[in-house]
This record gives sequence, C-alpha cells and structure tokens, in this order.
Amino acid sequence: MENIAQFDQDLMEKLATIAGEGIKNAAIGFSGMVGRKIEVSSPRLELIPLLMIPKIVGGLEDDAVGVYLRFEGDMHGQIMMIIPHHKALELTDMLMDVENGTTQHLGSLERSALGELGNLCSSFFLNSIAKTVGASLRPSPPAVMVDMVGAILDIVVATAGGVNEHVLLVHANFMDGPRCVETDFWVIPDLKALNILLNKKPGV
Amino acid sequence: MNNPISLGLGEQAISRDPQDVLVAYGLGSCLGISIIDPVTRITGLIHAVLPEKMNGLGETDSAACYKYVDQGIENLLAAMTKEGANKNRLVVRMVGGANMLIATGLTSTFDIGTRNIEKAHATFQRLNIKIAAEEVGGHTGRTVRVYVADSRVTVRVIGEKEHEI
Repeated sequence: MENIAQFDQDLMEKLATIAGEGIKNAAIGFSGMVGRKIEVSSPRLELIPLLMIPKIVGGLEDDAVGVYLRFEGDMHGQIMMIIPHHKALELTDMLMDVENGTTQHLGSLERSALGELGNLCSSFFLNSIAKTVGASLRPSPPAVMVDMVGAILDIVVATAGGVNEHVLLVHANFMDGPRCVETDFWVIPDLKALNILLNKKPGV
Repeated sequence: MNNPISLGLGEQAISRDPQDVLVAYGLGSCLGISIIDPVTRITGLIHAVLPEKMNGLGETDSAACYKYVDQGIENLLAAMTKEGANKNRLVVRMVGGANMLIATGLTSTFDIGTRNIEKAHATFQRLNIKIAAEEVGGHTGRTVRVYVADSRVTVRVIGEKEHEI
C-alpha cells in the first residue's frame, strides 16, 4: 500500500510546474474559443487549509460565477473556477465579441457561454496534467452557478471536507489586450491523485 | 451602532451584548444554527460545515469543534448552558443547507446541504428541542444575521433585501 502523500515542498514544486503548464494550456483553449490571442500571467499556487478558504477569499456575500466539474479516470478530483460577477460580465462581452459593458445580466445563454469557457479551460488544464503524468482523465460536464462567493465556496469545502485538510488554489489572470480577468481555480485532487503526481516526475 | 461578529467555517459565537449582530455570510450547503434564550438574551450561532465526523478523520479536540452539525449543536448548547441559558426555553432557528450543484449527475453524490439539514433535525429531536423556524434547502446561498438586541434572525439571498424568519 502506498503512503498517503503529504503536501511537502517537493510536491508543491512539482504541482507548481504542472499547474503552470496547465494554465498556459488553458489560455490556448481560451484563445481558440474567442478567436484572439489570450495571454495568461504566471499562475500563483497556494496550499490553503480547508476552513481558511473563505477568510482568504473574502467578500463572501458578493456575487460571483462558479464553474464546477469533476474528473475521473486514473486520478479523481474536482475543479472549481470562480470569477467575480462584474468580471464575468466583462468576460461574456469578450466571448460574445461585443463592446465592453454590453452584458448587464447573466441569462441562460450567457451562463452557457461561461460554462463552456470554464469547461474548456478546465479540460485543457486537465489534459496538460494528464499528459505530464501519463494518466487518463475524464472531466464531467460543467455546472454553472451564480451566487454568493461563500455559497459557491461551500461546494469546494463540503466536497473536500472530511477527506482533505488542504486544497490547492491556482490564481491566474487572463488578459485580452487591456482587459484582464482574474480567475481562481480551486483544485481538489484526491489522495490517490496526489500520490500519482508525487511519484511521477514532470516530463516523464 | 451594530457590531457585526462574522463567523467563519466551523466557528461559533455567543453573546448577550445588545450591540452585537452574529453573522454567517454566504451560506451554501453549510448551516447557520441560531439558539437564543429570550429571557437571559444569551444568543448563540454556529456555522457548521458537514453533518458529522467521518470515521477516523478530523479533529481530536471535540469540545472546541463546531465544524460538524451534530457535535456543533451539542457543544453550543453546553457552552450556552454554562453561561446561564435555560434549555427549556431555547428558540432555535436554522438557515442554509442549500444544494448548490444542480447539474445532472453531480447532484446526488454531493448533496451535503440536505444531509446537514437531516442531521440537525435528528440531533434536535434527540435532544428534545423544537426548531422554531427555518429557511433551508433550495439552491441559493444565504446570509444569516442574528440580532442580539431583539432576538431577530434575518436571511438575505442574492439580489434581495434581508427578511426576518
């Protein structure tokens, strides 16, 4: 039986490399969807104790958009992408290729577009991880929600709770010229997934 | 002036200061459980995350733990009784326990909200304490505020004003 992986320095360094590649790949998917080159800042990777998540994020009563999916296969886990509500409106303008400030409300069409984007970014992110560690991963269809930040984060906390004491936060900025959308990816790998990431060196 | 006391995940607050307002912001599947003794005005709130402790996992310091619904309720009751609250006149109100994931295939597995509500009902029943009011379930996040001054409990959902339960 394998030892339970711990988030030590070694694992964090590996995860940072893998997540960095994953986010770059997500930007390629994003670019393909909007038909323009979307740049991405180097992602910041943080390991957050489960119960501290809301304190670190803050603004718990603010509106936000969450795109959630699970992945299965050789590794199991979950990804939640959270975008502040006003940024989600800007992002929808980008996706629909309309002037900034056009989207005022997130109806079913807008939610569907954001869901597709979250799906695409997460899938490209997962593909990169799968390729790095030589694993096969299947993402679930995305679930999109518009609600208070705290309520969206509850999904991350509740699904990880009791099993993981820590979750990974990948914070990235997607940039389209002067427009910038800050995005938080919460990644919750299960313990088996961590073992796979720990035991396989990137690039092998 | 009101003095808001914000509760994080798995935290509790007890107050009898009329200036205080106990708040749990943006509850999704989490439960905000408020217990008030109207006579002494001892007011308590917990922000519980999960229904119960899983076997062999989680914290060992059980007396200080408010992360789980069953243990959290019992610990809050014990702490309030110690402060002088009377178990026979407690008013319990509960907010939260939403099922935030409504996409097909993802719902049933992770419906922690419903499990939290069920666990709270079972726990209060076991302790022989009635629940006076609740606004639970559904698919929306809620903020709960408990006003110590007049024992009001209010709920706010996105895009709406707070209302009393």
